[in-house]
Amino acid sequence: MKKVLVAIALSALPAVAFADNVGTCGWGSKLLDGQKGVAPQVLAVTTNGTFGNQTFGISSGTSGCTQDGTVTSTWKTSMFIDGNKERLARDIATGGGETLDSLAHLMGIRAEHRAQFNRAAQQNLTRIFPSGDTPTEQVVVALKDVLSSDQILSQYAASI
Amino acid sequence: MPNLLRACLFLVCLSGLTTPPPARADDYLDELTARSRELRLHERREWQRLLHYISNLARPGVHSLADAPGFFLARNGKTNPRAELEATLASFFSTAEETGDSQNPQCRFIARYAWLKRELAFDPSRLPPQPCKRFNAWRESLNPQGVTLVFPAAFLNNPSSMYGHTLLRIDARDQDERTRLLAYAVNYSASTSETNGITFAINGLIGTYPGTFSMMPYYLKVREYNDLENRDIWEYELDLKPEEIDRLLMHIWELGPVWFDYYFFDENCSYYLLEVLEVARPGLDLSGRFRWWAIPTDTVRAVVEEQGLLKDAVYRPSNATLILHRLGLMSASERALVSDLSRGRVSTEAPLFAALPPVDQARVLEVSYDYLNYLRADGRSPVGEPAVLARELMLARSRLGVDADDAPVPVPDVRPDQGHGTARIAVGAGRRDGTDFVELRARPSYHELMDPESGYVRGAQIEFFDFALRYYGSGEGLRLEEFKPVDIVSISPRNDFFETLSWNVDAGWARTRIESGAEPLVFEVNGGAGLARNVPDALHSSTLIYAFLETTARVDERIGRGFALGAGPSIGMIADLTPRWRADLHARGQRFFAGDTDTAWEAGLRQRYTLNTNNALRLDLSRECQEKQFWNTVLISLHHYF
Repeated sequence: MKKVLVAIALSALPAVAFADNVGTCGWGSKLLDGQKGVAPQVLAVTTNGTFGNQTFGISSGTSGCTQDGTVTSTWKTSMFIDGNKERLARDIATGGGETLDSLAHLMGIRAEHRAQFNRAAQQNLTRIFPSGDTPTEQVVVALKDVLSSDQILSQYAASI
Repeated sequence: MPNLLRACLFLVCLSGLTTPPPARADDYLDELTARSRELRLHERREWQRLLHYISNLARPGVHSLADAPGFFLARNGKTNPRAELEATLASFFSTAEETGDSQNPQCRFIARYAWLKRELAFDPSRLPPQPCKRFNAWRESLNPQGVTLVFPAAFLNNPSSMYGHTLLRIDARDQDERTRLLAYAVNYSASTSETNGITFAINGLIGTYPGTFSMMPYYLKVREYNDLENRDIWEYELDLKPEEIDRLLMHIWELGPVWFDYYFFDENCSYYLLEVLEVARPGLDLSGRFRWWAIPTDTVRAVVEEQGLLKDAVYRPSNATLILHRLGLMSASERALVSDLSRGRVSTEAPLFAALPPVDQARVLEVSYDYLNYLRADGRSPVGEPAVLARELMLARSRLGVDADDAPVPVPDVRPDQGHGTARIAVGAGRRDGTDFVELRARPSYHELMDPESGYVRGAQIEFFDFALRYYGSGEGLRLEEFKPVDIVSISPRNDFFETLSWNVDAGWARTRIESGAEPLVFEVNGGAGLARNVPDALHSSTLIYAFLETTARVDERIGRGFALGAGPSIGMIADLTPRWRADLHARGQRFFAGDTDTAWEAGLRQRYTLNTNNALRLDLSRECQEKQFWNTVLISLHHYF
């Protein structure tokens, strides 16, 4: 039983300059693997008591993506992907679900294009998640590519 | 008359044109202060709730539960509502501009401002309103339309969450049930980076952690509870009016940087959420009765029972619940495939798998994936690179192009707020060792294995301060039979997929037979670990067998050498003969090998028949042996929950 500590301290930056900003946003996907024991899990998402200049206590890992407790709009999509990778991959594979619906909503995909979006994502699952632990920024770029190469969906490529 | 009017108009224009000298502000403050005294605003419920004042225990007067000095504008604001109100009024005249680090008091205390503005009808020309850009940006990004009380059910294996938890969710206007993950959660919890569960529990009991409000996307909370801790979530959508939601948000904004000392049992998550709801709707009186003991389910119950406060309840099953449900729909060979696929023992190319119809393949792949993630979240990855395996499973699934048509997890008939009350009182009569007795038993909280199970987590017993008084017919008279400050049992059945450990721990005083035949009340700590299994079918059956290895320590000067240490097995079978009728057949032996040596054993049959939600009948039979003396006990009792 290998204990893999996937401290993907990533993440999720809209296009450009990923490398420079690693660690500035993203709650460091310490969700799965290497989180043995009960207490670390429970506490993984509790506040760390550091307020800085914000109105609310910051959830460990979300510092940098939020202002006064809400996620700044630039980060919304990538932070959502970062926090939901397993569920997102599952929804894409099965052709739909709450997580994929929520992502589509964040990206402003209109109701009449949802089915097309779900289909395109399903057909391109290998591209969107090219490896086991695909970093969030790669998912974002791949998703953008998938949208751009689709006639109908290309209009949404800029919104991710 | 027209001249006078003209003169007045002139004055009004003049006052609009010229900047009022500072003295004018002081005048207006004096006016407002005088008016607030006249109206006795500081005594009003709205003000008392906004500042979280509660009555002092011994002395007259009040104090606020908030412990952060920055929450008070008057030096004695924690204990003096009037001084705080007047200091608050004075602060509203500040012309400080909002920065990234600080806010103008009108914005920092925006709920107080909104209320005082309404009560005192602030004149905007004499007390100019501040723009409060940060608050407005925050409110806009929340885009609130509704508020939901969220209850992640109990998680017995963690002492800090065994009662469950509550948090609030702010639902946005542009969301629906399919996109609720995007809402924001407002969470009140102990703020610490402590990772040791025991230390965490102890500090929580004595209130050494600051409790703080935090805010995060709801999907993080769903991940935490549903996927990492495998707790089912109940969402209670509240029927609040727009102005009530406004008040709630303004107050949450005020509470963001504030901390309160956190206590698990009273000043906890659930208690403060009730206080926040009271700010939203000042007519509500929810928190008063939970001043000393706030169990999340009880607070949910209080909210739900409030006329017209509950709009809808939504059930969100955990990953483990979903896996169990879907395994239950499978054939044995499909289950075997899930077990093998999720552990990387067979690939999706395997003939056995490929032979399945696509719909069954879809089901097997989905459950395999969920189960693999369950194992990963539990720190038990079955392969070196679980993420690669997970991806393979989903790629195979994406190629199928069909839907697995499994029925969704059924919503439990009884919600957590609809189960039996957490306090219990019982009256009974029986015969022990040839002597008749009557018994009175009581406990303030929470649930015992033999209590009606609807609305509670199966196999989870948590009792605090349970005690029994007995009056014996012959000679002995009235005596305290037992008193257990804590008694926790977690029986969680294992199967091929969930290799869970069961355990128990209790501490308290119980009558113990000593050599002379006397029965002093002896302090005893008992704990053990074991295994449980549903029979005959590990996934479907409602009959459960269990076996524990327990150890016991007794300390009392009246027993030989003043102490006794023992160990031994306990076994049992719990069967639901009908939904109302439960029987527990059990036996337990302890070999006391150090101190006062003895071989003690006990065997019995406990039965419960549920009359209705809050009443049950019990019939308990047992045979015991201590210090080579044997006796039988029979007890029939009526249990009432409230």
